[in-house]
Amino acid sequence: MSFFEESRRIEALVFILFTLYPLTLNFFFGYFSMMFAFTLSLFEWDILTPMRFVGLRNFYEMFLEIAKGFHELITSPTLVYLREPFFNGLKNILIYTAMVVPVQTLLALVLAVIGNQKIRGSHFFRVAYFLPATTCPVIVSLIFIWLFMKDGFINYFVSALTAGFKPDWLNDPNFLLPAIAIVAIWGTSAHFSVTFLAGLQALPREVYEAARIDGANAFNRFVHITMPLLKPLITYVVVLGTIGALQMFDLAWVMAGSGGGPGGAGYTIALDIYNTAFIQLRYGYAAAKAVLLFAIIFTLNYYVQKKLEFARVV
Amino acid sequence: MTTQGSPEKGKKTSSTLILAAAIVILALIVGAVFLLQRPAPTPSQTVVIRFAGWSAGETEMKSYQKMIDLFEKQNPNIIVKYEVITQMFSENILASYAAGAAPDVFYLDSAWAPTFISKGAVYPIGDKLPKDFVDQFYPFLLEPFKGSDGKLYGVPKDWSVLSLFYNKKLFAQAGVPEPTESWTWQDLFNAAKTIYQKTGKPGLVIHAEFNRWLPYLMSNGAPPPTFNSAADAAYFDNPAVKTALTNFITLFQQGRKEGWIVIPSDVNAGWSGEAFGKELAAMTIEGSWMIPYIADQFPNFKYGSDWDLSLIPQGSSGRATMAYTVALGVNSKTENIDAVIKFLMFIEGPDGQRELVVKMGHTLPSIKSLANDPNLWPSHAKELSNIGKYNIVKVFFYGPKTGDLEGQFNQVLQAAVRGEVSASEALSLLKTKVSQSFKG
Repeated sequence: MSFFEESRRIEALVFILFTLYPLTLNFFFGYFSMMFAFTLSLFEWDILTPMRFVGLRNFYEMFLEIAKGFHELITSPTLVYLREPFFNGLKNILIYTAMVVPVQTLLALVLAVIGNQKIRGSHFFRVAYFLPATTCPVIVSLIFIWLFMKDGFINYFVSALTAGFKPDWLNDPNFLLPAIAIVAIWGTSAHFSVTFLAGLQALPREVYEAARIDGANAFNRFVHITMPLLKPLITYVVVLGTIGALQMFDLAWVMAGSGGGPGGAGYTIALDIYNTAFIQLRYGYAAAKAVLLFAIIFTLNYYVQKKLEFARVV
Repeated sequence: MTTQGSPEKGKKTSSTLILAAAIVILALIVGAVFLLQRPAPTPSQTVVIRFAGWSAGETEMKSYQKMIDLFEKQNPNIIVKYEVITQMFSENILASYAAGAAPDVFYLDSAWAPTFISKGAVYPIGDKLPKDFVDQFYPFLLEPFKGSDGKLYGVPKDWSVLSLFYNKKLFAQAGVPEPTESWTWQDLFNAAKTIYQKTGKPGLVIHAEFNRWLPYLMSNGAPPPTFNSAADAAYFDNPAVKTALTNFITLFQQGRKEGWIVIPSDVNAGWSGEAFGKELAAMTIEGSWMIPYIADQFPNFKYGSDWDLSLIPQGSSGRATMAYTVALGVNSKTENIDAVIKFLMFIEGPDGQRELVVKMGHTLPSIKSLANDPNLWPSHAKELSNIGKYNIVKVFFYGPKTGDLEGQFNQVLQAAVRGEVSASEALSLLKTKVSQSFKG
């Protein structure tokens, strides 16, 4: 009894030792910077001179910009990106999230189901499609810039399917954001499929066997058994995917440039926060924008989790 | 007493363990804080200065290290720590100011200089430098580094200038005579059209960037731009600016439709240098940085026999070009100002520039006398000999918001070139950008 007590104490000690390090890091780089950003949003600061308290002025200015953006969207939609870049970034990132999250989740699920089959070479495919998740996004986007060229590899196939039509992916405002979305989907669905694969392998076989005996085919088994059982994981993937998509920076930075590329089509709110802080040297205003992004992410995820509440494992 | 399972003993052992662990952690934290705060042990009276720069490649870094070693040998009581920041240089330096860990001496781009100077972040080194040292430099290159108090806050380490580059083979193929010193902009446009008609290759590739278009604007009567407040948005109401910009945009839109003038992405190139090096266009207006790039990436495309450079054409009000420069700025809070000044004078003086600028061939020396150095690349020597023939050599800085404004202007000009906005809409947008950027 006392031996176990002692070993439990050692266990507790080891627990403290192991968690102290990540907790310290998490506090300084997570919570502290978050609190600092919230505070900063009430100040005007350019790093080189002392901070100046401005109250809610940054937020007032931000909402004014959003209002102007809506007005611009109605009166002259083609000039929104030139007149109201912040609003354009906000609009783009919402469209981008709507494009990326459903597709990446579905694709991840399909990839996981394929990877879960007991067929020859499945192990090879699991490794092969997990590779993108291990590659640096900047390198991935550099390679895709080359693949997306007008006479590039992707258009070689696209033109065959569209009777010779070749979209100018990176220079046409209508195709730039979808191009970035394609790269993001390609890079992230592999990562999430591993999550699904782990979930699939933990599912009880008996349920499937019973369904098979009852005469359910593969599709029915997927829709009526796999999907409902995987719902907690689907929530997890949708939440993480949404956070990642709304904060997207690296792909846009490389594929569109800091200005968002042609027609500002690749401009995102994270790029705008970067430009406001580092180019315009308005750190307080950039922090206010970051707070808005936080609010959007928080609300959306709260909504997603609420919507999928029934899926929680009791 | 020897029983292992005795509860008291167990308690004692584990509390001792916890105590020991707490002491170890505390010692680690204290040690880390101590190490971070304590400067590296140095021999008595030896000072350490930190020097931060970006790099144009490994050769450049090696050359700098070589010169630093030489400097340290000549000055045994000074140690120079060379820190290369490869990406987002000025942003990194700013962040290091926030952390109170800014380097003692660092590259200061002309576009960023006003920001650093106006906030008191850099030292007025003009007060410390001997007059005859400062007098060695091209005077116009010192302009961006002068504060509103008239003091000098940086001395250029090197510089680049825009020139007209042309492909001799394509000119010959089209039967068009090569550019001369008397060329006007109209001659350039005519040549570009003819070359396109005869060879099928666009005559001129140029970025839709404000600083690349300024030679055209200024040579046609537009004053050199300076934006110090929202009121300076009126620059775009100046009749000469309005006319020149409208003409250039209209011409660009027309030329792009017809195919004789293009932006780099039109010919699947990342920038003008690549388009010119790959011989996808006959002419371009680019900076001196294109010369080493061509030599390095396209060794078979040779200066003199395959391509040459010429003066940028003249307009109705003379001839203008743009200069780009980077100075060495000194942290105003440096504790070793004398050592830093000594180092700065060594790196930027004739010996330093001969090794780091002339021999490397990346840029042009900022010391006038080095224009006649036998080691200077012939193409660089030609650029330097042309300088005197320009009425205006405008250094790339338009006031405290240069970097921000240039980015915003370019977006508007790119939209104009693509035909998304008309010339008059572009002018009004440019005005808005100036007034908006001074709002915050």
